[in-house]
Amino acid sequence: MTDFGKLIDKPAGWLCEPGEESEMVLSSRVRLARNLNGRPFTHIAPPDILEEISGSVAAALAAGDIMKEALMIEMEKITGAERMLLAERRLISNELVGNFKSRNLAVRPDEKLSVMVNEEDHLRLQSIESGLAMSSAFKAARELDDDLDKRLDFAFSDRLGYLTACTTNVGTGLRVSAMVHLPGLVHNNDIRQVIDGLRHVRLTVRGSYGEGSEVTGNFFQISNSITLGVSEEDTVANMESHVRKVLEFEKKARESLLREARTLLEDKIWRSYGILKSARLVSSKEAMSLISATRLGAGLGIITDVKIPVLNEILIMIQPMHLQRLYDREMSPEERDTVRADYIRSRIEIN
Amino acid sequence: MVCQFCKKREATIHFTNVIGNRIEKIHICTSCADEKGFDYLKKSNFEKGDLLAGLMNLAFQAGSPEAASRRCGGCGRTYADFKKTGKLGCSQCYEVFREELEQILTSVHGDTCHKGKVPGRQGSRIDLMKKIHDLQKELRTMIELEQYERAAEIRDEITCLKNTGGGGAGKEPPCPSGKEGSAELGGQA
Ligand SMILES: [Zn+2]
Ligand SMILES: [Zn+2]
Repeated sequence: MTDFGKLIDKPAGWLCEPGEESEMVLSSRVRLARNLNGRPFTHIAPPDILEEISGSVAAALAAGDIMKEALMIEMEKITGAERMLLAERRLISNELVGNFKSRNLAVRPDEKLSVMVNEEDHLRLQSIESGLAMSSAFKAARELDDDLDKRLDFAFSDRLGYLTACTTNVGTGLRVSAMVHLPGLVHNNDIRQVIDGLRHVRLTVRGSYGEGSEVTGNFFQISNSITLGVSEEDTVANMESHVRKVLEFEKKARESLLREARTLLEDKIWRSYGILKSARLVSSKEAMSLISATRLGAGLGIITDVKIPVLNEILIMIQPMHLQRLYDREMSPEERDTVRADYIRSRIEIN
Repeated sequence: MVCQFCKKREATIHFTNVIGNRIEKIHICTSCADEKGFDYLKKSNFEKGDLLAGLMNLAFQAGSPEAASRRCGGCGRTYADFKKTGKLGCSQCYEVFREELEQILTSVHGDTCHKGKVPGRQGSRIDLMKKIHDLQKELRTMIELEQYERAAEIRDEITCLKNTGGGGAGKEPPCPSGKEGSAELGGQA
């Protein structure tokens, strides 16, 4: 098996771990943007400079202990479909799928820590943990940053902090985000108010796992937008306290649903689970909403024979490129609906 | 419609892309899309806007060289380039376009002063204290010379440096020379 296969043909390590608040939080992510001093930013850097940058970063990564087991994947040496697979896995950005010359990814086998090279910024350090774990995700990214700092000269100004290609990242270069599952708040219609409240405190909220900005499956991504004038520690603490507040609201919404409409709720959950277990054709969108309801059922202890980590894994695996890889052929959307249903059934059965 | 990249073949792929508050239309032929590694566009309904962000920059660079006067010495880009793409060319751009960026940074972050980590090699505490000390000396000179604009810049820089004390928020390095300079620097949070 190739290195690429070793990485991609198994579920991400962090996915299988039960995290804190995992019934409401899928994952916590931290990203640090860094650029090498005295080099033009990626988007205007000529090919030889991009090459030089990826060389320096590779050497710096190899010299340290933290990434010594990491796989180095050169974007130009893999196919477009494989790049899209990495993007579905959230290991690279869509930007890197299209612009792949001298773009690299260094990723630890458990996928918890990775570095994108020559993305919008020369380095994008990424750390991911299962469940609500923003401070430990930050700690891992910070350790790698401290280590790289010894070997690389990062573009930095006393006044503005870390200098980035986009003014939106300048300062700490830190983006902290949590992927949350909020079916309760969507159901009782309080979600709008919660989102407005988060935006009011300058946090960004996006629907996720959906096409574009359309919210599917009640999954949302919450992240900080301010990187200048706030320390990393305060950014993480601030995000964590706001996300915890949202989770409190979600918990209350779930409790009131159970109290006031238990039968209705149980019916919806069991029907969704029933379809998920027996459908022969399922679109990506329908799967999302079935998984969402089943996930809610598992979180509330209504459904006990399928665990949340398995549902998380299914969410990743039913994306188009993952299905094509799993069944080893290119497929039309209609064919994918068939194998998606097959895959889900088999994954729930072996569980 | 003709492909905007090769300007020869018929454009068969059309996109609308939003960058900042500008809307851009892209018309590209399949062979140019192939050449640029966008072959999968034909097969999938991947988020096209994001994929083409890189392509957009190409398009901008091909555009008319704006008469915007100042160019960054580091990368040769103008402020007009930044406005079009939303991206700066290099770290020097932040100094060259300092005034113009001030407003943007304030509206994006509500602040123009870093309060987080300082990289080890340039940010040891002693270096920082020495730098603050030097700036305070320069500040007094500028005030004596009635160069108030420069003095204000230096004052802001000192405030920033005091805030970057190394990681923890609010921890200020002690004023290196005790009493001097601190009175006129107070205020800014
Ligand atoms: Zn063309
Ligand atoms: Zn520049």
